[in-house]
Amino acid sequence: MNDAAPSHLHATSGHHAPATPASPVLLARDVQRTYRMGRVTVPVLKGAGIEVRHGEWVAILGSSGSGKSTLLHLLGGLDRPDAGTVEFRGEDISRFAPRRLDRYRNAHVGFVFQFYHLLPELNVLENTMLPATIGVGRWEWLRRREEIRERARGLLERFGLAHRFRHRPAELSGGERQRVAIARALMRNPEVLLADEPTGNLDAKTGESILDMIAEQHRAGLTIVMVTHDQWIASRADRVVHLVDGRVA
Amino acid sequence: MGIYVQLLVRRYLTTRIIPLIAVAAVALCVALVVIVVSVMSGFLDNLRNSGRTLMGDVVVSYPVQGIPHYGTLIRDIERLPGAAAASPLVDTYGLIRMPYPEGSNKDVVTAQVWAIEPESFARVTEFDRTIWWKPGTAAEALAMREDDPRRSIDDTLHQDALAMKDRATGRPGAVLGMHVSVVNQRQRDGTYRPRVDYWWMPRHEITVTLVPISEKGTISQSNSRAFKVVNEVMSGVFQVDKNRVFIPLKDGQELLRLDEAPIVDTTAEPGPDGKYPVVGMSPARATQVLVRAKPGVAPQELKQQVTDAYEQFYLRTAADPDARVKAPSPAYVSILTWEERLRDLIGPVERERQMMRILFSITYLVCAGLILAIFWSIVSEKTRDIGILRATGASRSGVLAIFLHYGLVIGVVGSGIGTGLAWLVIRNINAIHEAMGNEVPAFVWVGSYLLAAGALVMTVRAGRHSRALGFLLWTVLTLVTAGAATGLMLHKGFLIWDPSVYYFATIPSAMDWTNAGITCIGAIVFSVLGAAVPAARAADIDPVRALRYE
Ligand SMILES: Nc1ncnc2c1ncn2[C@@H]1O[C@H](COP(=O)(O)OP(=O)(O)O)[C@@H](O)[C@H]1O
Ligand SMILES: [Mg+2]
Repeated sequence: MNDAAPSHLHATSGHHAPATPASPVLLARDVQRTYRMGRVTVPVLKGAGIEVRHGEWVAILGSSGSGKSTLLHLLGGLDRPDAGTVEFRGEDISRFAPRRLDRYRNAHVGFVFQFYHLLPELNVLENTMLPATIGVGRWEWLRRREEIRERARGLLERFGLAHRFRHRPAELSGGERQRVAIARALMRNPEVLLADEPTGNLDAKTGESILDMIAEQHRAGLTIVMVTHDQWIASRADRVVHLVDGRVA
Repeated sequence: MGIYVQLLVRRYLTTRIIPLIAVAAVALCVALVVIVVSVMSGFLDNLRNSGRTLMGDVVVSYPVQGIPHYGTLIRDIERLPGAAAASPLVDTYGLIRMPYPEGSNKDVVTAQVWAIEPESFARVTEFDRTIWWKPGTAAEALAMREDDPRRSIDDTLHQDALAMKDRATGRPGAVLGMHVSVVNQRQRDGTYRPRVDYWWMPRHEITVTLVPISEKGTISQSNSRAFKVVNEVMSGVFQVDKNRVFIPLKDGQELLRLDEAPIVDTTAEPGPDGKYPVVGMSPARATQVLVRAKPGVAPQELKQQVTDAYEQFYLRTAADPDARVKAPSPAYVSILTWEERLRDLIGPVERERQMMRILFSITYLVCAGLILAIFWSIVSEKTRDIGILRATGASRSGVLAIFLHYGLVIGVVGSGIGTGLAWLVIRNINAIHEAMGNEVPAFVWVGSYLLAAGALVMTVRAGRHSRALGFLLWTVLTLVTAGAATGLMLHKGFLIWDPSVYYFATIPSAMDWTNAGITCIGAIVFSVLGAAVPAARAADIDPVRALRYE
């Protein structure tokens, strides 16, 4: 389906480049992250590393509280490591200026969360278009508004939400909300989809359908990093990385 | 500014109640300031304009003794480039014997008596416009109430007033201020009717008694004269309408012995008829000369011209060997603009308006505080959304912009509504004031009681279902509506604007747009300032922490 998107919507040529298994899209090296709560320090990541190659579906598996989300946030540029580097196509994003990191989150990665995290005041279509409305300037918006809307509609239709455009998230089921969240994550055609327990809040059957959707994106060439504490869900990925005690085992 | 900022501001505004409360608060603050300051500005303008209505722009004044050869002075003044017209006046105090009550023991009141030359007086002041008993245009006549005496009169009284005489009989006429006679009753709509038709003043006559003052400053015998009341005037300036009586200039001069008179030599031997020889004529005098400025000429400018003209006039009469009576020296003659004459009144009102502006600026702080509190709660509630926006690539400044813009919109919308509200109130302020003076119709307070009863039912239901918030809100609503209903029921009507206190008969009802503009800018600035603190907090929110919420 990614091929259906007009090419200039892509932030970069991204995963359309032929997948070269040797070149990592994301590379975390020896990252440390310690949370401070008053005088208590909680070391969460104690030198974790991970390599994600083009077109790969990697699952990060670990028990609750092992630092999976923290690692994903670092990969997605939502947080910066205390030590170590996080490289995106060879560039250390942890040294990006704030603006550049904002753009990175906006265009190069797409987040999907356990609790969907849609904006309640916006309808389904607007939630889906959000990354585009954040990423484009006023002029670009005026020029490309229709095209952007078409892209969002196309994604939603593909996910079986054609009749839901004008609905508010509160009017949707959990599975539908997560599908909207995935559509939003794909809106700008990112290189990497970062999914944090995407099925964690859904019943088994709905979870399965969400995983099927992710698998379909993967088949279309999208690179995916998925966090889960469930062995069985992790098994759907190409590769499983175990996170134990702040280190990759 | 990003597209999403605009979209979210719109949604945050239209999908929740709290921002509407903020808008309402800003609107009320703005309306309050604009109404109060507009009324005070209108009051000031009225004071200034009443100058033109009552006595033109510049007044040359030499009280008691009067200015001789005033006709020459008036000719000189009317030749000035800045002067449109000039008129002589004799201004004094006198006793007025009213026609009522029945019997011989009539009411006597003191009044400021203005002896005028009606034709030139009407050119300098707005005397003609203030004359009350005239039929008016067709449209005005239609608007008059059934029982308004003006419906059944022709233009005779109006013409008599402009001539200051009862033209049918040729007797001298007097024009009274509307409130001089106790018979006239002001109606709620601002019109007048006699309490008793018989005592409608233009049917009657009055006797004016004036006391001439000799050159030595002593009082000689008083003089009285009867005048037919030909009309009444309503200037809108209460003190004037309460105290002023107009009579013809000639009669005033005669009663005060300011008319032309022979000068006799009392040191010489009396003639065979027992009279002293006449050695010359003492010219008639006027205590004031009123001057009206040409359109576009500032009163100060005219004052300068009139001052120079008087100087010339004085020097000419002083040098004229034929003139036995000289004009008073410019040193003793006061030449003032009307505003200067009213300095004592205008000054305090101006300072009061300034004070009001400053005091009411505090309401801006209230607005800012309110917006700060409301936004603080919105930001707390929206923490997760802010995390989502940041995860989707929104910058810190973008998040900041959302809330600043939000504050701006609340300020702008609130100011707009407030200005509109103020405009409506100011335009209808006299009608509203009048309505407040009436008793409240029964259906209004009965309806309010019904609402209170409805709220009580809801309170009981909320209590039964043990909903604490609902119970609390409905209780408050019940008490408020019941209280309002009782207040409305007991309200017997009152008038806040008492014309005898506030100088003018009606509340000024002109919008002060400059002030409204300043007020709106202030409200907008303070709304944005109030939003700034929560906005900065929103921008500082750590997205990772925000996203852990659920
Ligand atoms: N902002 C924070 N402050 C303090 N401790 C935190 C913070 N965020 C996460 N933690 C702690 O870090 C640990 C790892 O969190 P997380 O990465 O969410 O684990 P996971 O996703 O594997 O369940 C947990 O023990 C959590 O309590
Ligand atoms: Mg987690």
